[in-house]
Amino acid sequence: MRVVVGEDEALLRQGLTHVLEHAGYDVVGTAADASELLRHTAERAPDLVVTDIRMPPSHTDEGLVAALEIHRTRPETAIVLLSQHVQRRYATELLGERPARIGYLLKQRIADIPTFCADLERVCAGGTVLDPEVVALMLTRARRDDRALGGLTPRQSEVLALMAEGRTNAAIARRLTITEKAVVGHASHIYEVLGLPPSEDDHRRVLAVLRHLAR
Amino acid sequence: MTAPREARSPLGAALGLIGAVALVLGVAPVVQALTGGATPGWPPVLMTALGWVYTAAGLVAWSRRPTNRLGLIMVVGGFTLLASNLGQTHDAVLVALAAVLATVPLAVVVHLLHAFPSGRLTTVASVAVVVTGYLVCTVLQAPLFLFAAPPGPGRLLALAARPDLVRTGEAAQTAAGCAVLLATAGTLVGRARRATPAQRRVLGPLYAYGILAVPLIPLLANLRGRLGWLTPGTVGTLQLVVLAGIPVAFAFAVLRGGFARTGEIEELGAWLGTSSGARPALAVALARALGDDSLRLMFWVAERGEYVDASGRRVELPAAGSGRAAVEVELSGRRVGAIAYDSSLIADPKDVVVAGRVVAIAIDRERLTAELLTSKEAVKNSRARIVEAGDRERRRIARNLHDGLQVRLVLLAMEAQLVAKEADASPATQGAATALRIGIDEAAAELRALVHAVMPAALVERGLSAATEDLVDRVPLPTSLELGVTDGTLPPAVEGTAYFVVAEAIANALKHAGADELAVRLALVDGCLHIEVRDDGSGGASPLAGTGLRGLADRVDTLGGRFRIHSPAGAGTRIIAELPCE
Repeated sequence: MRVVVGEDEALLRQGLTHVLEHAGYDVVGTAADASELLRHTAERAPDLVVTDIRMPPSHTDEGLVAALEIHRTRPETAIVLLSQHVQRRYATELLGERPARIGYLLKQRIADIPTFCADLERVCAGGTVLDPEVVALMLTRARRDDRALGGLTPRQSEVLALMAEGRTNAAIARRLTITEKAVVGHASHIYEVLGLPPSEDDHRRVLAVLRHLAR
Repeated sequence: MTAPREARSPLGAALGLIGAVALVLGVAPVVQALTGGATPGWPPVLMTALGWVYTAAGLVAWSRRPTNRLGLIMVVGGFTLLASNLGQTHDAVLVALAAVLATVPLAVVVHLLHAFPSGRLTTVASVAVVVTGYLVCTVLQAPLFLFAAPPGPGRLLALAARPDLVRTGEAAQTAAGCAVLLATAGTLVGRARRATPAQRRVLGPLYAYGILAVPLIPLLANLRGRLGWLTPGTVGTLQLVVLAGIPVAFAFAVLRGGFARTGEIEELGAWLGTSSGARPALAVALARALGDDSLRLMFWVAERGEYVDASGRRVELPAAGSGRAAVEVELSGRRVGAIAYDSSLIADPKDVVVAGRVVAIAIDRERLTAELLTSKEAVKNSRARIVEAGDRERRRIARNLHDGLQVRLVLLAMEAQLVAKEADASPATQGAATALRIGIDEAAAELRALVHAVMPAALVERGLSAATEDLVDRVPLPTSLELGVTDGTLPPAVEGTAYFVVAEAIANALKHAGADELAVRLALVDGCLHIEVRDDGSGGASPLAGTGLRGLADRVDTLGGRFRIHSPAGAGTRIIAELPCE
């Protein structure tokens, strides 16, 4: 897997490169600003781009703007955005066009290296990954406006949150120490409550949940 | 009869009315003279013209110098002339009136001479001479209209034909008239001597003309018999020309800016005396008195060592060679201001100095107002700078934490995790290292909350509407959001203030109001940002209750905005702020 890293903080750029190489990724380029990131991506055709949202020179959302452009022009490239702070609006923008091969995580999540690497793999495999904090924001908002969500049991709410984070049924079962069958049971109840059409495809169902929450 | 009143200039309307009456009075005898009778047609026309000249000159002087009575005296003179011309009509009453008033215009000229330049009689002697003048022209005129002809139809005042009495009367009137003129001449020579050379240049010709004109008029009539070439027509014309020159000369002298010091100072004195509500601005009064519309007042702010204008803005003294000059005004030895004027209009700075002395107290009072405005402006600017500095500091702190501590915590947690995953680490070490990593992650979460409170990332990265949306996303209650602003279009100070108003208002509602629902609204109306945060809670919020709302009210005020709280007990709370965005 070829990776381009975008991060303006040199220490963190090195740390991230180290973690990625340790996990078996081939870091083919590192960028300290958004234009460099776009250039490296265009020249080196990576399978994955991991980038900070806030970058020089304006230190606003340049990384996000660059990521959205890569997402549009190179649909086969997986993208994971990192930020010191997450907000629902960015998640909505990222998931808006084509919710695949996209991840949005707090920078602090890098430290939990095994989980972080698993998230990268899911994104590279065509999935979506959202930070639990963003999912929590989406659920808070959805619960305010959608009474049906209030009817979920605490366990079903947990399953919904993990589904929205982009986790597979197996991962959810592991996390909640329940059987995968129980997860499927909770999931179908959740689809019913949200009025989503049943589907055999795990990924599609996750997308449907995300669309529902992000609207 | 009421004069048509214009709200803007009642004086102008009244003067217009006087002018109209004079026009009518003048036209009647002309029409009469031209249409009937054997009398020559043109003397009444000239008399009417003369009356109009007096009236017109008087009205001009009156309107330009409303507190100067010379204009009034000239108008009275004009009316006596027009009235004496009514002898041309066939109405017995009017003819009688004309006969009585026949020589009064001469007394008016004497009055003008004594009253110049202010229009007021300033000494007892002047009053005595002027009153005598009027008596000479009315009482001593009596023999002429009482005994000139036997009583008859159309001759109301005629008692008998007594040429002897007429001659005696004429002699007495001439003698008394000469005495009045001599007394007048004496008074005026004294005045001219006391005047400054500049004033004397105007006073001299004016006084000389007036004193010579009065005796010349009857004298011309007497000379007619002795000098053969003087026809009655020539005499009449000469008399009229001499008389007509008088009001024109006086009006010109009154209006001429910068010489009639006494008159102007009386103008200013009258201005000081008017009630402050009806008083025009000091600068306008000075400009009018000195005849320079471009005149400006400057006020001295001693502690800053600079001049300011009436609104408190800093101004400079006119530079040399700029065509403008300035005179400093002092009050009890202390500089209070300066009068800047057009040096081509006012040649002698002494006039400005004297005028400044008269209104020094008023200038000092306006100076205090200007100084207050200056310091108010300074306080407002310094408050704005404090708010801006505060926001800059918040941004700097947030940025430093973002680039520094937050990055360090990610790296530290990463290292702890690497230790935990080392192949040769004992299970106890692995457990401890993982716990350390989780602890660091928790600290990072607290730091995130802190950075968010200091200066939220959404505000830095996007702007007000993104930040407000993020804020509302985190509210656990149903909250409606109406966003009418585009990010990146508002000044940073406005965005920051608006954000903290919304944040504090939401925090307040969640903490104290016990509300079930919230509504947040941002709208841009005519370049002004309207912010409204509403809840359906218990109400009773007061800006004085917490430092949060109090501080926000101050912040909004600093930006020139308005901050209001509607919070009746039991009926919810509305916090409204309006911020100008220019």
